[in-house]
Amino acid sequence: MVRTTVTLSELPEGSTATIRDIDALSPTSQRLLDMGFVPGTPIRAVKRAPMGDPTTFEIRGYQVGLRRSESALIDVEIKPDEK
Amino acid sequence: MSKSSLMKSKIQRNVYLVGNPNCGKTSLFNAITGERRRVGNWPGVTVQKLEGIANSETANLTICDLPGTYSLTPATPEEEVVLKTIDAAADGCIVNVVDIANFERNLFLTTQLIELGIKPVVSLNCFDSFTKAGGTIDLQKFSTFTGTTPFPTVARTGEGTHNLVEFIGRPDIISVEDCENWLSLPQVWLDAAEEALRLKDLHWHSARPTQRYSALTDLIRLQPDPIVPELIEIRQNLAKKLSEGREIPVKTTNLACELASDRYRRIEKLIAGCAIVPGKNIPAWQEKLDRMLTHRFLGLPIFALMMAWVFWTTFSIGEIPMGWMESLVDWLSGFVQANMQEGLIRELLVGGVISGVGGIIVFIPNILILFFWIALLEDSGYMSRAAFIMDRMMNSIGLHGRAFIPMIMGLGCNVPAVLATRIIDNRFQRLLTMLLIPLVTCAARLPVLVLLCGTFFPENPSIWMFTLFFVNLLVLIFLGQTTSMLFKTSENSPFLLEMPPYRLPTPSSVFHMLYEKAAHFIEKAGTVILAGAVIIWVLSVFPREVPLSFDYESELTRLRSSEITVESTERIAELSRKREIELMEGRYMARLGKFIHPVMEPLGFSWRETVSLIPGFLAKESVVSTLSVLYLPYSDNLGDAMRKTGMTPLTAFVFMMFTLLYIPCIATLGVIWRESGSTRFTALALVVYFAIAYVVSYITLKIGAVLQTSTSIDWFEGLVIITVAIAAGWYLIRTFIVTIRGSRCNSCASCSSCPSRGKSDCSGGQP
Repeated sequence: MVRTTVTLSELPEGSTATIRDIDALSPTSQRLLDMGFVPGTPIRAVKRAPMGDPTTFEIRGYQVGLRRSESALIDVEIKPDEK
Repeated sequence: MSKSSLMKSKIQRNVYLVGNPNCGKTSLFNAITGERRRVGNWPGVTVQKLEGIANSETANLTICDLPGTYSLTPATPEEEVVLKTIDAAADGCIVNVVDIANFERNLFLTTQLIELGIKPVVSLNCFDSFTKAGGTIDLQKFSTFTGTTPFPTVARTGEGTHNLVEFIGRPDIISVEDCENWLSLPQVWLDAAEEALRLKDLHWHSARPTQRYSALTDLIRLQPDPIVPELIEIRQNLAKKLSEGREIPVKTTNLACELASDRYRRIEKLIAGCAIVPGKNIPAWQEKLDRMLTHRFLGLPIFALMMAWVFWTTFSIGEIPMGWMESLVDWLSGFVQANMQEGLIRELLVGGVISGVGGIIVFIPNILILFFWIALLEDSGYMSRAAFIMDRMMNSIGLHGRAFIPMIMGLGCNVPAVLATRIIDNRFQRLLTMLLIPLVTCAARLPVLVLLCGTFFPENPSIWMFTLFFVNLLVLIFLGQTTSMLFKTSENSPFLLEMPPYRLPTPSSVFHMLYEKAAHFIEKAGTVILAGAVIIWVLSVFPREVPLSFDYESELTRLRSSEITVESTERIAELSRKREIELMEGRYMARLGKFIHPVMEPLGFSWRETVSLIPGFLAKESVVSTLSVLYLPYSDNLGDAMRKTGMTPLTAFVFMMFTLLYIPCIATLGVIWRESGSTRFTALALVVYFAIAYVVSYITLKIGAVLQTSTSIDWFEGLVIITVAIAAGWYLIRTFIVTIRGSRCNSCASCSSCPSRGKSDCSGGQP
């Protein structure tokens, strides 16, 4: 099966992916981890803001808006069937 | 047992509410304590402490509402308070408010508490929306698996809170038998934490919660600090143990990720074991509404329409009750005039107190309407969406999307707005927002605008007000841009904007907000403004004796004693007016105004306007009340009086602009000083405001004068030209700075995948 790994910021609006990794070196990471952005978690890009940034993501049943600078810290995996 | 001995045997207990932001913690606090509350500050930090009293049959409870936090690992000064209080809280009673409609993420904090050996009482809040969506939970199992006592509550309606209060008021809170807690720390981690504690001669079982917390933090921290060789070894061992049976070995830098993942695994297991969580937490209609409100093309117009509606209702509808208030004030001063003996006291009451405070209270309707909408927007959950769609714009002036909320609050009053900057975790971001907030036109500045616009531009005051707001906005953007350009920090505060579900605002929470705002404003009007009005009155009536250029008194007596004709009556009126003006110019106030006047003269202000700016420092509202006191001898109508003394529309416009910008009121400066904790920053900000106000006003005056003399261009067009010129100038400067810096995206996190990599200009790295 072909899998594509992209950063969360590149995840197209409306599509679902699974979190693979999170940049451990950024000080923001701890907060993201605490909020449930841990590897293996399914995540959906819900909506990009009218001006292109930030984007709302749905994770663990709640929605949170992240800027490109934060979502770029997270690597996600898109399965072909989830596209 | 008699009743009195029962009363005596009541126990005292401190209860601490902890929970995520938006979990309904404050609603629960309101439901439990009612109106019995006290607002203070946490010792050593400028974080608000909210305490209330609740009484159960067996206990007197002091309820303390801790700041909302997603995790014990602090990202803001508020969240630090939670961590610092946790030891004391563990000795009392901790109520962990969990939004069950958002179960997994809310249990993260619960897990952290349980790991540290704390057994909170769990309030499963928003229980109604959970069951409505089809969720069920076995409370007995939840209790056994976590060692806590759960209480289903609906804080918004108060449902279930009575049981909770009765339970936490029991003399001995029976803790649940703890066989195997599903949320407690796994043995591997426990061993490592024990070893880390041993370095400090402590043991896990006897350590305080904060000591346990710091041991865990030492294990997962990116850079161990201080670097103890033993600690590095412990971390390596821990990573090795965790790697057992895995393809990819765990690195020590990934320990934080491992711990978080482990916590969520435990949470998932717990939820699977005791509850059925509805698959989709967000109802379909909410998704639809959300899609529309944050729509690519509709989102911004809807937001703009809402803001326009808020403004229109605030100022047009607000006029009706304003009229009632005005007549009430008139009646009151007439009543005092008629029923009190003539003298200094009556003069003080009428000239200082009633005209000063009365002129302020008139604007209460405006504030109430405005905050009614703000409360609705906030409670309904739309405020987060507004921050979401506005973030890109806020970001472009170097601000966090969250700064939009304090900025919006700034429209009501700058003081709570400055306080609201606490929601921004990065210090630089917070300071920048604080610096910009006073440039947001607050409600107290509206009196000046409403009055002057109505007086000098009676045909279309709203267009002129809009122009002023617009120029103000440009100044704000310019200052934000330059500051963030000059002091660019590579690390921005993490942008995490939670989208709470849409909720119907409850009347009680809206009422709470309105009451608070109105009370705050009246309180301010009653103390600071009153003091200002009285000081101004003193300055304007003393010294009592002023040397006059002409013996008005004898001339008036002569005229009055002589035969009454139309001519003599006119002469009397003219003479008394002249005398009044001459008297006024001899008072302290005028002397002070004339002393400062040379500085303000280039802007075209008369000494009266100059004088009115002095009390404006106390509170901007005082500008109007001072003007009305100063212009009283010319006409009862301030507008007429000002025109009579030769004020032109251009001067009025410049004056309005200067009033908007020149200085925040003393209360705002006070909170800025306290919140920033820096006298230098406050002083610098003060200089910046004054300089900006002066320069902008001067430029406007000069351009306006040039435009006025040429007949081909009318006023409004002229202003459009100015604003366009300013906008163009701003854009040029910005581009200039970008050019010198070489690139705009030197802090971009996804450098490797950026298509503009290596180019001098970056289009934002869009794929």
